[in-house]
Amino acid sequence: MNLINGFATTIKHLLERPVTVQYPEQERAVRERFKGRHALKRYDNGLEKCIGCSLCAAACPADAIWVEAAENTDEERYSPGERYAKTYEINMLRCIFCGYCEDACPTEAIVLEHKYRLSFHDRRDAIYTKERLLDPPPAGAPDTPWVTEPGTFDRAIPIMQDPD
Amino acid sequence: MTKTATIMIDDQTYQVPDGINLVDAAKLHGITIPVFCYHPKMESVGMCRMCLVELGSISVNRDTGEPDLNDDGSPVVRWFPKLQTACTQTVRDGTVVRTSTAQVLEARDNILEFILTSHPLDCPICDKGGECPLQNLTMAYGPGRSNFIYDDKLHLDKHVPLGELIYLDRERCIQCARCTRFCDELVGDDVLAFHERGRSLQIVTISDPPFDTKFSGNTTDICPVGALTTADFRFGARPWELDEVPTICPHCPVGCNLSASTRIDRDFGGKKMIKRIMPRQNELVNEIWTCDKGRFGHHHSRAADRLQHPMMRQGGEWVKIDWATAYHQIASKLKKYADSAGFLAGPTLSNEDLWELRQLAELTGDTPRLGVWPAAMTGAGVVAQVGIGVNTRLQDVGPETAILVIASDLEEEAPIWWLQIKQAADRGAAVVVANARETKLDRVTHTVVHYDYGDAVAVLNSFAARARSRRKTSKALLDNRVDGYDDLAAGLKGTRVPFADAADVLLDAENVIVFAGAEGLTLDQHRELMQAAANLLIITGHVGRQNNGLVPVWPGANVQGALDIGFSPETTASLIDEPPAMWFIGGADPAADDSQAAHVLANAEFVVVGAQFMTATAAQADIILPRQSFAEREGTYTNGMRRVQRFYAAQGPVGDALPDWTIYAQIGARLKGPKPPVSAAAVMRAITQHVPRYAGMGYSSLAHVEAQFPDVGGDDLYYGGTAYANHGGLGVQWATDAEDDSARLVVRPAQIEKPEKSGDLCIVPVRLLYDRGPLFEPSDIMHQRVPEPYLELNSQDAAHLSIADGDRVMVTAGEIQIETAARVNGHAPEGVVLWPRRLAHGPAPALFSACSVQKIEE
Repeated sequence: MNLINGFATTIKHLLERPVTVQYPEQERAVRERFKGRHALKRYDNGLEKCIGCSLCAAACPADAIWVEAAENTDEERYSPGERYAKTYEINMLRCIFCGYCEDACPTEAIVLEHKYRLSFHDRRDAIYTKERLLDPPPAGAPDTPWVTEPGTFDRAIPIMQDPD
Repeated sequence: MTKTATIMIDDQTYQVPDGINLVDAAKLHGITIPVFCYHPKMESVGMCRMCLVELGSISVNRDTGEPDLNDDGSPVVRWFPKLQTACTQTVRDGTVVRTSTAQVLEARDNILEFILTSHPLDCPICDKGGECPLQNLTMAYGPGRSNFIYDDKLHLDKHVPLGELIYLDRERCIQCARCTRFCDELVGDDVLAFHERGRSLQIVTISDPPFDTKFSGNTTDICPVGALTTADFRFGARPWELDEVPTICPHCPVGCNLSASTRIDRDFGGKKMIKRIMPRQNELVNEIWTCDKGRFGHHHSRAADRLQHPMMRQGGEWVKIDWATAYHQIASKLKKYADSAGFLAGPTLSNEDLWELRQLAELTGDTPRLGVWPAAMTGAGVVAQVGIGVNTRLQDVGPETAILVIASDLEEEAPIWWLQIKQAADRGAAVVVANARETKLDRVTHTVVHYDYGDAVAVLNSFAARARSRRKTSKALLDNRVDGYDDLAAGLKGTRVPFADAADVLLDAENVIVFAGAEGLTLDQHRELMQAAANLLIITGHVGRQNNGLVPVWPGANVQGALDIGFSPETTASLIDEPPAMWFIGGADPAADDSQAAHVLANAEFVVVGAQFMTATAAQADIILPRQSFAEREGTYTNGMRRVQRFYAAQGPVGDALPDWTIYAQIGARLKGPKPPVSAAAVMRAITQHVPRYAGMGYSSLAHVEAQFPDVGGDDLYYGGTAYANHGGLGVQWATDAEDDSARLVVRPAQIEKPEKSGDLCIVPVRLLYDRGPLFEPSDIMHQRVPEPYLELNSQDAAHLSIADGDRVMVTAGEIQIETAARVNGHAPEGVVLWPRRLAHGPAPALFSACSVQKIEE
C-alpha cells in the first residue's frame, strides 16, 4: 500500500508543470514588498530627495552605508533643502536588505526596489556609489546640479505634508 | 573645607556644598533637573522655565532652632504655592525639592511644547542633531505630539551669517540668551544682543565687523539648540559618526585642551581628517573654552601645499629623495661639520622631538649648540624657581588675589588667559596691567601702568622697593630660604616709586600672580624683567603656593618644553652672532621672522630644515624634511604653566611626512647612536628617566583623568556638546623649587638697561593672534579676521608727518622697505611705530630700529 502511495505521488508530480524557471533568460516576478537593491529617489521636478542626513547609515545594522554631506548653493543645487549627499555609497556585500534605511529616511529618498541581480567581478564593484543608486531624472526634468534663482529654496528641509 | 548643607530632593536627604546652585547640587548626586538657559559657567537668569520644581523649606521653630515636626515625626515643609525655577535657587540647610511629581512633569511637558511651537524640527539636517539638549530633553520629558497645527509655525530666516564664522538659524533659536550672556558677561565684548520683543525676539550682532570677538565659537558649544553653528563644520558630519581624539592646541602657551572630531573623508583620500575642533574640559587650563584661532586654525594639518617628500637641492633645483638618502646625507654632513653645527628648535616641536633632537645633537659633540625659536623670551631658571603654584585654578581666583600683567598684550598672545583674568577681575581680583601702550586688558581694571618702552624692569624694581619700604616682605622666607637678598636690598635702596598705587594693590593682596611677556624688550632686558618679577614674588613670599607665582607668556605652544629639555634663546642669539657652518632647524621659521637670521642662513654652508610648508627658511635649505603636524601624531606639549599635556594622532598621514622624533632618531642611528625608539611613549620614558622634573610623567600618568566640576560632558548632555568630556588626560604640572621647602631661592638685582633708540621714530614689533604665520594662513575661513598689513602710529607723530588714520605709507627701516596702511588709533606711544609681526610678508625689523614713515599721496 505504501509503495502505491509513493508511486502515486511521483506520478502526480511528473504530470505537473515544473516550478523551475530558466534564469537568467527568464525572471520570476517578485512580490510587491520584495526588498532588492536600493534606489535614491528624485522629486517630480528632478531634484534629489536625499538630504544627506546619515540616518540610514545610523540605522544600518550592517554598517553598509556611507554618507558625506555638503551644502547646496544657488549655483549648484542638488536638493530643495540646505543639504545634500555629496557621497552616498552602499556596500552590497555588507547589506542584509533589512530595509531599516528605508524606514529611517525622513524624506523617503532611499527605497529598496525589486532589482536583485547583484553579482560582482570585483569587491570594489560591490560598493554602489551615488551615481549608480540615483534614479534618472523623470522625463522632461533636468538633471542635478541646478543653477537656481536666489530665494527659490530657502527652507532647511523640503516642505512636507502635515505628518498627521 | 567648604561648609555643607543638608537638603532633601525627592524625599531623600543629601549633603551638598552650602550655597551652590540647586541644579548643580542635584546633578552632584545624579539627579537631573533639565535646563536650557542655565549654564554653570554663567549667572542664572531663569528665562526658559524648563527647570521648574516644587520648592520648599523645612520650617524651623524660631525659639528652639529645631525643625517643627508633623504628628508622624516628619519635618514640616513650607512649600511655595507655585513651581519655582531651580536654576535661580541656591541651596541652604533645609531646602526641600521635588523634581518628579506630576505637577513638575506636566510643567516640563508644557514648556517643551511651548518652546517647540515654532521650532522647525529639521533635526535630520541640523549640525546639532544628535548632541542637542532640546532634542534630548524633548525625548525625555516632552510631549509626543503638539496641539498646534504644523503649518502654523513661524517661518524665519534659516541662514543668517553672524560674521563669517557663525551662522544663526532664527527658527531654531529658543531665546535662552546663553550666547548673548557669554559675550556680555564672560567676554565683555558688546557684540550680540536681542532685538525686538515677544515672538519677534531674535539675536542680532551689533558690532562692526559682525560678531567681533575672539571667542565667538564658544557660543555654538553652549547653544542648547542648533541656532548657532560654525561655518567650519557646517554639514561636516553627524555627531554620532565622529571619532573624538584628544589633542592640544599648537598655537599659544595656554595649551588649551581640545577634542578633534574626526571622520574619514573621500575628499581627503579616504583618510581620517579633522572635521571640527571643540574644547575639551580641563578646569585647570581652559575650562570649557577655546579661542577662535584654536577652534578654526586646524586647516594647516591638511593644507594642499604641505611638504610631502624629503627634498634635496641639486644645482638649484629641488629633487625628491627618499628618507634613507636624506638620513644618510644629513648624517654624513653632521659627521663632517660636527662641532660647527647649530641646532634650532621651533615652538611646535613636542617634548619627544626636542629630546631626540638633543640626543642627535649630542652625538655630534659634547657641547652642542641648542637654540630655541622664537628667541624673544628667556628665564627658564626663574620659572623653575618661582613659576606659578601647582594646581592653580585661575577660575577660582577672587578678591584675595592680585594679578599683574606686564609687557604683554594678553588677548593677542594668550586669549584664554585674558578671558580668565577678565573673569577674575569681575569676581573682584585686583588686576594691574603694565605696558607701554593701551591694551584690551586695560578695560577690566582701574590700575593701569603705562611706562616708557624700556622701563618695564624699572617698574618691577620699584614695586620691590615699595615692598621693602612698606615692610611687606616675607621674613620667614627671606631668613630661611633666600640667597642674595642683601645685594638686592642694597640695589633697591633709594629707588623712586612712580606707580605707588599699583604697587600697593599688589602688596596688599594675599596672593599675587605675575604674567610676564616680552613686548618691547630685548632678550637681555627680558632676562632682567623675569628676574625682577621673581625678586618681587620671592621677597613678598608669593611663591610656592596655589594662585601665586610667575607665568611667562611664551611666544609659542611648547617653548617651556624646549627650555626644560635644554634649548635656550641665549644660544639662538649666539648662533646668529657667530653662525655655525651647518644649521639643523626643526619646525622653526627664523628667516620669516628676523632679517638677520635670514641673512645668516643664506650664508650658511649647509642647512637642514624640518618643515610642514615651503617657508622662507625651508626655501634656503639644502635638505628639507617634511614633518608631521600636531594632528597626525602623538606627543606632549608643556604649557606656560608647566603642565605637560598629551595629544593623540587625529588625522591620517600626509605624504611621506614623519614625526620629528622619528627623523632625528633615524639620523642619530646612522651616527652610531642608539636604535631608534619605536614609539613616542618610549621617548617620553627616556625623558622621565633623564629630566628630573619630568620624572613620573609617563604617558599613562599624563592620560589620567578624574571627575571635574561642573560636569558638562556627561551622558545627560543638557549643557550641549559631545566633545567636552575629557578622556585624554588632565596633564601633570611639574613643581617649582619654591614648592620644595629644602630648595634655596636666589634673588639678584635686576639691571635696568635703557634701549638704544636710534632715531625719532623707532619700531616695536608686537604679536597678533590672527597673523599670517604658516600654521594659521591655511585656514581660509579666518582670512577675513586677519587684518590687512598695517602699522600703528602715535597721533602726534602722525600729525607731524601729516598722516591720517587709514593712509597708505611707505616705511623704511634699514634695508626693509614696505608699503602699508597706517593706523592712528591712540595705541602707539610717542616716538614708536608698532609693527605687527607676521602680518606684512617679510621679517620684522629689530626692536627699536629707526625708521622713517612717508605718506604715499594718492
